Amino acid sequence: MASTVVSLRLNGRPAEFLARPGTSLLSSLRDSLGLMAAKRGCAQGGCGTCTVLLDGRPVMSCLVAVETIEGASVRTLEGVAADDGRLDAVQSAFLDGFATQCGFCTAGMIMVAESLLAGNPDPSRDEVVEAISGNVCRCTGYASIIAAILDAARRKREVDVV
Amino acid sequence: MITAVRIPGSLASAAEYAAAGGWIMAGGTVVMAQVNNGSVDASELISLRAAGLSGIRVADDMVHIGATTTFREVAELEFLADAVRTIASPSIRNLATVGGNLFVPQPYGDFAVCLLALDATVHIAGSGENRAAKVGEPLARGEIVTGVSFARPAAGTWFYRKAMRRKLNSAAIVAVAAVVHTEGGVVSSARIALGGVAPRPVRAVSAERVLVGRWLDAAALDEAGAAARADIEPFDDAYASAWYRTRVLPVHLRRAVLR
Repeated sequence: MASTVVSLRLNGRPAEFLARPGTSLLSSLRDSLGLMAAKRGCAQGGCGTCTVLLDGRPVMSCLVAVETIEGASVRTLEGVAADDGRLDAVQSAFLDGFATQCGFCTAGMIMVAESLLAGNPDPSRDEVVEAISGNVCRCTGYASIIAAILDAARRKREVDVV
Repeated sequence: MITAVRIPGSLASAAEYAAAGGWIMAGGTVVMAQVNNGSVDASELISLRAAGLSGIRVADDMVHIGATTTFREVAELEFLADAVRTIASPSIRNLATVGGNLFVPQPYGDFAVCLLALDATVHIAGSGENRAAKVGEPLARGEIVTGVSFARPAAGTWFYRKAMRRKLNSAAIVAVAAVVHTEGGVVSSARIALGGVAPRPVRAVSAERVLVGRWLDAAALDEAGAAARADIEPFDDAYASAWYRTRVLPVHLRRAVLR
């Protein structure tokens, strides 16, 4: 029943915290570390709103037993904007494209988009759709979310050219 | 309530924990969901993350996939890439493993359907001798699946189709996986597995019997699909009724092979 000390690289900085046996990464982020961007939705891996990047790849943080990822690198939405608060390309595209309605899915959608665009700077619409296929938007704002991710890809490419 | 999560660094150590009654966990996509909803009937979880069971080896057209290999990695096997893309979403495929998929109840567990069609060998370790089993054989307490192996099907002999309510990330209404060999257009052998239509992946042996010796055309496949209704135990769920699954099975069996 003893808790375990878990060390992670969290948004580029070391983090250390206690976890009771069987605690999910999501619960540790929200309840121990105070990072509230990843949302607690279905707790079954079915909604995607808890998506974070684990060693660079999107995962449902509710399905990751945090004790099993000791030493891993985790990135959440809190680690996306620049230190001075400037939004990155994906965040800006979501904001400018009205790609958020209630906002509950937004953190997961943005993290999936961050991973997609890191590996594929010029995705097709179908590739965007597949990337977000694990993320549910119950406002059904998919069209604007997909448009925002494609827009973010354009913005990132333009920055890279300059 | 979970009172310990073991992360054994070796297979032998994992088997000892498993013999003591803990639940084996690989990617966590099934077990952690059960932890979260309080339905895990064990106090210990045994993570295989550090047990050294990950990776794909291909030698002389034999493919060996370690139990904790994720579906993201399996998608690198070209002939299986289309099948893998029908399994859950990319975020789940970054965690979910081949070994875990063998234990997922239908209408999930599409990869187990593929492995049944491929006549895969399931490699099992435990407190006693290591053993090889067929897909679907039960495990004793303390036994752990270490990997699966199968012969890579010859070009043009592998077929897969999954009917879903959405194009991506949905459970099987009907999944069809098949290895069909023809000589001069006539079927010389057929091994067909079905998902979504029984509590576990099933062989469509009646369909296989119909096909062997026939021209591989729509008429033969329709007849085989109708015959396959004898091999299923369909169920109702939120995705489809048993009636609907039975009704559309022949259509998807035909489309799987004729594309």
